[in-house]
Order: sequence, then C-alpha cells, then structure tokens
Amino acid sequence: MLLRCGLRGQPEILGAGMNPELEQQLQGELERARKGDRGALARLISVLERGGYGAACVERGLSARAADSYTVGITGAPGAGKSTLVNALLGEMVADAQRVALLAVDPSSPLSRGALLGDRVRMHSHAASPAVFIRSMASRGQLGGLAVATRSARRLLEACGWPLIMIETVGVGQVELDVASTTDTVVVVLNPGWGDEVQANKAGLMEVADIFVINKADKAGLEATRRDLEGALASLPQQRRPAIVETVATEGRGAVDLWAAICAHRQAIEESGELRERRLGQLRAELRGFVEAHLEVALDELFATDCADLQLAAIGRGAVDMPAAGDVLLAELWSLVNSPKRR
Amino acid sequence: MDANKNKDRLWKSASGLPLQKFYSESDVPQEQRKRMAADPGVAPFHRGAHPGGYRTKAWRIFQLSGFGKPEDENERIRFLLEQGETGFIMEHDRNTGDHCYNVDHPDVVARREDVGLTGAVMQSVRDIDICMKDLPLETSFGHAGGAVVQHAPFALAGYWTVAKHRGIDLARLPGTGQSDFFLTYLGCVTKQQVPTAAGLRFNADIMEFCDKHLPRWVPVSIAGYNGADTGLNAYQELGALFANAVEYLEEIKRRKTMPLENAARACSGVNFRASMDLFEEASKMRAARLMWVQLLERRYGITNPKVANLRIHCVTAGSRMTYQQPLNNIVRGTVMALAAALGGVQSLGVSGYDEALSIPSEHAHQMSVRIQQILQEETNIQAVTDPLGGSWYVESLTAELVERAWGFFEEIQDQGGFLATLDSGWLHERAAENQSEDFRQQESGEQVIIGVTDHKDDISPFEVDGFMGVDDAYDVALERLQEVRRTRYEAGAGKALSELEAVCRNGNNIMPAMMDALQSEVTLGEIGDVYRSVFGDWATPIQT
Amino acid sequence: MKTAGKRILMAKTGLDGHWRGPTVVAKALRDAGFEVIMIGMARPEEVMQASIDEDVDLVGLNIGGHVDVAVRAIGMVREARPEVPIFVGGVVPPHAKRKLESLGVEVYPPGSQLPDIVAAAVRLTGAA
Ligand SMILES: Nc1nc2c(ncn2[C@@H]2O[C@H](COP(=O)(O)OP(=O)(O)O)[C@@H](O)[C@H]2O)c(=O)[nH]1
Ligand SMILES: [Mg+2]
Repeated sequence: MLLRCGLRGQPEILGAGMNPELEQQLQGELERARKGDRGALARLISVLERGGYGAACVERGLSARAADSYTVGITGAPGAGKSTLVNALLGEMVADAQRVALLAVDPSSPLSRGALLGDRVRMHSHAASPAVFIRSMASRGQLGGLAVATRSARRLLEACGWPLIMIETVGVGQVELDVASTTDTVVVVLNPGWGDEVQANKAGLMEVADIFVINKADKAGLEATRRDLEGALASLPQQRRPAIVETVATEGRGAVDLWAAICAHRQAIEESGELRERRLGQLRAELRGFVEAHLEVALDELFATDCADLQLAAIGRGAVDMPAAGDVLLAELWSLVNSPKRR
Repeated sequence: MDANKNKDRLWKSASGLPLQKFYSESDVPQEQRKRMAADPGVAPFHRGAHPGGYRTKAWRIFQLSGFGKPEDENERIRFLLEQGETGFIMEHDRNTGDHCYNVDHPDVVARREDVGLTGAVMQSVRDIDICMKDLPLETSFGHAGGAVVQHAPFALAGYWTVAKHRGIDLARLPGTGQSDFFLTYLGCVTKQQVPTAAGLRFNADIMEFCDKHLPRWVPVSIAGYNGADTGLNAYQELGALFANAVEYLEEIKRRKTMPLENAARACSGVNFRASMDLFEEASKMRAARLMWVQLLERRYGITNPKVANLRIHCVTAGSRMTYQQPLNNIVRGTVMALAAALGGVQSLGVSGYDEALSIPSEHAHQMSVRIQQILQEETNIQAVTDPLGGSWYVESLTAELVERAWGFFEEIQDQGGFLATLDSGWLHERAAENQSEDFRQQESGEQVIIGVTDHKDDISPFEVDGFMGVDDAYDVALERLQEVRRTRYEAGAGKALSELEAVCRNGNNIMPAMMDALQSEVTLGEIGDVYRSVFGDWATPIQT
Repeated sequence: MKTAGKRILMAKTGLDGHWRGPTVVAKALRDAGFEVIMIGMARPEEVMQASIDEDVDLVGLNIGGHVDVAVRAIGMVREARPEVPIFVGGVVPPHAKRKLESLGVEVYPPGSQLPDIVAAAVRLTGAA
C-alpha cells in the first residue's frame, strides 16, 4: 500500500491496478520517452511533479538507479552564478560529446505557491540544442533545496538514457545536504568576499562539497576567500581535500577546469569504490525520503482530525501530559497509515 | 465620475511629494529664497542657462528619426529638416546596432522582419555614408546614433570618418552621440553587452578623443530619460543622473589624461524625461541645473560658469503614450513639451502619438514637430525666461526635489556607486518598485489615465494603423554586407581589426583604432566579435 | 485557486530589451500561483523547444517588432504543442493585433490591466 502527497496535499491511496487504463497510457508514454521523445519525457516529469497515483505508476516503471549514468549537483546561494556557470559547463560537456540533462530547481513562493523560474535566461547557448535537455522545477514546498519530484525526475532521465545529469539547487548551509544525498559529485559555488560565510558554514560545506568553485573571480576579495577556504580545508587529508576552481562564468573562464575537476572526481570515486558506497547511501536517503513524505501527509491528516483536538483539549485542562497524549496520537497515526481506505 | 472625489484625495506629486492646498512665501526654504535673487544665466542657473532664454536661441526641435535602408532614413531626415527640425538624429537599426551584430548573425536572421524597424541598418562606413548624403553636417546639430554603449564607438567613428571624407575639419564638427548607461544597462537591456567596466572605459576613451580632436562635439550624453521611462521618479532620475556623471568624472580624474574641467564640460549636455506632472517636471529641469552647479563646486571645486551651466535635451515620456485612443497622446505630448519649455530646456523631442502602437509613422513625426512649433510660435512662451520663477509652489518644489535627489544620490554611493547599482540590479529594483506601485494605483483608481482606466468608451472615428515597416531592409543590408566583404581591401581590414583587438586588450584609447577600422571598412559584426572575445558579456541582473 | 502547478512560459521574441512590462506580468502571474518559466529573448525555435521541455500549459509572448517574427514563433509552438494556448503582449499595432487574433491568439496591448491578464491566464490554463 502506497500513499503519496498529491499536489494539493490530499493523500491518495496508490495501489497497483487501480486504474489500468491510466497505467497503460503512462507505460506507453514511458516507452516513447525511452525512445527519445522529449515531449513524452517532459510530460512524464509533470506527472511525477503532480504526485499521487500517476506518479506512482511511472515510478514503478523505473529501476532504482542506472549504474552507467552520472549526476552532478551544483549548489550555492541565490545569485552566486550557478545558472551562468551551468551554461558555460554545458558547453564543455557537449563539446566532450556528451548529452546532458539539467534539472534547475528554484523555490516556490510560500504564500502564493507560484514561482518565478529564471534559470533558463542564463542558458541561451543551449536553448535549442538536441544534446541538452533543461527542465525548470519549482520546489513546491519541499525544503532542502530539491523539488518534490527531483529525485524521481532524475531516475526518469536515467531510464531515458541521459548519461549525464546536472541538478542546480539553491542552497546555503544545511540545505546542501539534500543535494549531497542525491548526486554523485557535489559542486558548491561561492563568490569572492564570502570569507564569513565560509567560516560560518564550515562544517556543512566540507561535509557536502566535492569541488568548490569561486565564481565571479573577476570581483574583489578572491584571494581572501581562497585563503579562508584553504584554511578550512587544511585539516582534511590530502586525497580527500576538495578541489578549488576559480571561474568567471559570464566570460566562460574556468569552465574547462571545472569540467576537468568533475571528471577527475568521478574517476577517483569510481576507482576507489566510493561511488558504490555513495549510491547505497543515496538509495537509503531516497527511500527514507519517500517514507517521510508519506508520514508527513498522514501527520497532517491526523492533526486535522478530532482525535488531535481531543488530546489538545485534554492537555489544556491538565488531564493528560504531553508524552501521554503523544503516545495516543502515535498509535492513531499507525492505524491511519495502515488503514486501507482512508477517505 | 464622482464630483466629490477630489475632496478626500491625498494630493501628491508624481514622485510622491505631498502637496499643500496652496503655497506661501514661508513655504519656500530659506536657502532657496536666497537663490531666487539670482537672474537667469548666472549661477546657480536654476532660473535658466541663458539670460536671454529662448529670445536668444529657440529650443532645438530634435526628433528621433529612422527606419529601413540608409537611403530611407536619409530621406526621412531631410523631410524633417524641411519641416523645420533644427537638428537630426541618425538612428541605427537596434537589432544589429545595439548588439554589434551583422545581419547574418543567427539572432538577427531569426528576426529578419524586425530589421530596419527601429533605424537604418548600418554595418560599415559605406552604409553610414549613404545615410548622411547631403546632410548639412556643419550647420545643423547631428546626432550620430550609438545610444547603446558598445555601439557608440562604431557609430561615432563612422560619422566622423564620413565627415572627414567630405573634407570637413573635425575640429569644427558639431554634434553628439549618446552612449548612455541608463539605456544600455537599465532601460533596454540587450541580449549581449560589454560589461559596465568596459563601457565606462569606452566612454572615457570617447571623451578623451573628443577633447583632442573634436572640441565642438558633445561626447557622451547621460540620459536620465531612460531611467525615468523605466520607472525612476523625478528625484531618483536626478540623483541617478548625477551619480552617473560622477562615475565618468572619477574615471577621467583617475586617468589624468585631460583637464577635469574639460571632462565636466563633456558631461554637461544631458537628457531628461518630461512626463505628465506639469509643475514637478518643470521644477525638475530647474533642480537639475542647480544640482550640477552644486556637484561641480562641492566635489571638484569647479566653478567656471561655462562648465557649470547644464544644457538639457528633453524627451517627452514615451511610456505615457497610450495604446487606447491614441489621438489623446497629442494632448499629452503638448503638456509634456510645455513642462520642458517652462523648465527652460535647450532641446526637445516629442514622442510620437502612436508610440504605444508602433514605430512612429510619418504623420506622428510631423505632429511631434508641429506641437513644438505651435508652442514656440503661437503661445508667446519664448518671450520671458523662467516664467515660473518666483512661484512659491515651483520654488519649493524645486528645493524639495534637489534635497530628495541628493538623498537618492547618497543611497547610490552607499551601494558602491552608479555602476555597482547597475551590476547588482539595485537600481532596477527601484524602478520596478515604482512600476508595480503605478499598476496598483491604476487598479485602485488612485491613478487615472483617460482612455485606459477611465472613459474607455472610444467614439473616435480615427484608426491609427502605425508604421508598417520596410520590406527590403533586410535583403538590401545582406547584399551590401556581402558586397563590402567582396570588394574591400581585405588585408587592410584584417590589419585594422587585429589592431583594434590589440588595443581592446592593452587598454589604450580605442578610438584611433576604431577610426582606422571604419576607414578600412571593417564591419559592425566583426567589431562585436572582438568585443565579445575580449570583454565577455555583461552579467545582467535582469531575468526576463 | 487551481493555478497551483500550472506552468506558463514567458518569452520575448524580439531583440529589444524593454523588461518592465514582462517582469511586472510575470510577478503578477507568480502571485496568482502560477509557475512562470522565463527564457528572456528567444528565437522562435528556442520558444518551441522550451514549450516542449518545460511541458507548459500556456505560452506568453512579449513582442516588440514586426508581427511576422511573432507569427513564426506561434507557428512553431503550434506545431509542437497544438493544444497549448498562446497569449501575446507588447507593442502591437492594430493590423498586427488583427492578424494575431485571426490565428486564435489573445492579445493584451499596452494599457491592459494586470487583473485582466491574470484572469486570461487562469481561463486559458483551465485553472478557473
Ligand atoms: N561579475 C560576474 N557576475 C556573474 C558571474 N557569474 C554570474 N554572474 C552574475 O550573477 C548574477 C546571478 O547569476 P545566476 O547565474 O542567475 O545565479 P544563480 O542564482 O546562482 O543561478 C547574474 O547577474 C549573473 O550575470 C561572474 O563570473 N562574474
Ligand atoms: Mg539559478
């Protein structure tokens, strides 16, 4: 029994065989997408984004992880120049005879749930290229820098034979952790003059970054930022120390070096066997995320029931204490998750 | 409409200054009252640039004009000169010009029907020569085009090269270019552009070159217009314009290549917008002259009245021209022109009444000229200088605009200066804020636009169809480009181009190399390619 | 509102960089709950490719110059995504407006009020 957050928050029950017609239609789409139909691929990503039964149908048709495809994450604060850098990097990748898909995630507005997705504006060089697939995704309320469907969209792209996938996400500090648990090589983009940020987020940054980019190297403060960064990394053993690459994305400067650093990192973790471990970790995080998402929906639902209100009132009167009320609700949650027909 | 609605209205100027029911002597700040004693034509010049005002020299009727092939534009300019225009603006096609693309660039090919809509296509000195055929270069004030920063060196060098071929001594050639940061980096952000630092260098290079060779030429013209029409209000337009001037002056000061006083004079021909708030806009022109005096004296110790006397070209607000009931725009153009004239500007362009519908038609052009002629000849407005001087309302508005404008100027300095506010998008945000507020006020009914928000019932029998474009502009431009490539002296062109590239890289003044490039028939797109490889692309903060 | 999850592509067909209008419209659409994908100045084939890859529910074109450039972009989007509605804003002379409307495209000339534009987006995306 699967349960998934629908777009407007209604939980839905996602049993196999509930709507054979739709299932068949989606399988057909998947077939077309696998054969290279970009329209079908694009529509399927929308299905994944909408969640619910349709998404579950598509996900069932995807294997867990294609071994021969590779994912690079690009993260950093808004305005760091990630999209501009991706544009330059795409050039290097395509020149290397690669086909590349990009998922560009930007936050949804918490108020209106709408979003302005402007990453493509920076990517004109590849706007109509058959070798590049770009998809803008709104986070749709998901915290952690990824959109609700980023991980499943990645798996879909892999299934459709895109050998190289980039994920651009907005991140500062903690938030980068999500991209780390989803991608094989994580590139963290900083700017000159960010010594303080480097200090403040030292632990988090070092945990996630495989490569640091100091973009906007044309701006003042480059040297200081580089020094701060090197200082922060000095404690790491030589072979685990992330590369630092300087770029001026608007001029395409440094893109070659960044691409080389990505390739080198890939090679290193493939040879050392770390890639296999990472992917196990990713799988674990993905599965956990899946379960968490469903629990969250059930929780929301639980707190909309009388049961929660009753416990709240009881606590208010002093009739029960917090742990006791919590136990009652946890038991209720359990039966809610297990109930076959909840609506 | 509600006859009582005026009673509870909160009366403000267009820039949001609160307005009183009426003004008395005590409302004029002390300092401003002292200034009122000065006559027009003497510092601090808020009362006018010249004691004789328009008696000495009528304002110049200066209209944008251009479309199609160079010969079409030449014909239009000559038509306008015959109609009574006293200067001319040579407009280059913006698709090719602003981007320094030749017509065979894929981004132009994809939009080939747009080519020639906004100006004539001029890709080499041959095209510029056709466009300038028989124009009175020495006796009328020419605008060589090149409004966008990366295009200006090409447009100017082209104009000057043709003038030289005609045997004109550059030292005697009057005119201007524009090379405006407001247009380039704020108002009309192109798809590709040199970064602001390179743009600053180009403008300083042009100023130096003119200082040496073209003393009568106005090398750059800062156009607050383009900031205002993007959303900056009156005092923001003023503050930002002088913040821009400071960037130029500081650059020249750093270079020490020409006297700072000459640089200040080079910056003293500016361009403002006149919009619909009649008294605020007239006051703005007065405030501008006053601020220039203050800036030069306080910051640079320059008091030479020849330099501190700001000359203003004014254009009426294109963005206030409505799509609905377009003939109403003739009235709007008249009111805005009146504001400019009351403010004592030296030169004026009136936006076409069909501006919101299309590129101005010939009739709209003619009306823009007629509006000005009617004001000049039938209203007696030219008889008396600074007719609003001494009005308690206008004097206090002037003083308040000056104060707020310096406040905005300081905000820009706090952001790291004018260029920094363009690079970061800070200035764009200020403009966008006002824009959104305007939309909100139009929805709420606080701001009324006749024919748009109110009185939408159009019984006007006139249908304005707008300018339809020129069919063969693209094809002819492509043929001419191929012909230049076929028939020019290739070795010479190649040499001039590599020299230009070397200069772009080594930091010397680019204008001599640009003159050689034009002389050697290097084309616009080749120059653009050099820029792109040397300077890269401006990191635009805009996302659309 | 049912605008959540509806996706709108916004492009400029010309090379002229007036950004105020499209920006204000994009923000209004976002505030109404739409996901607005901006691609800036784009050639017809770029508009078409984005309309496919981004699986949008509506295409908004800001046009500045000659109507034929817009017509070409509209033709390419129509061929790739025949079911997707298109609306147009910008400087659109009456003759161009008539031509665009005859192609089944809604036109919002200067002076159009934001609530009307948002309402059109709601209607055209079926979010009403
Ligand atoms: N000076 C400079 N500006 C850059 C550079 N890279 C990007 N930018 C600018 O930084 C701003 C934000 O870029 P964008 O790629 O959208 O950043 P993102 O939010 O991280 O994706 C834009 O104005 C870019 O043009 C660079 O290397 N140097
Ligand atoms: Mg981005």
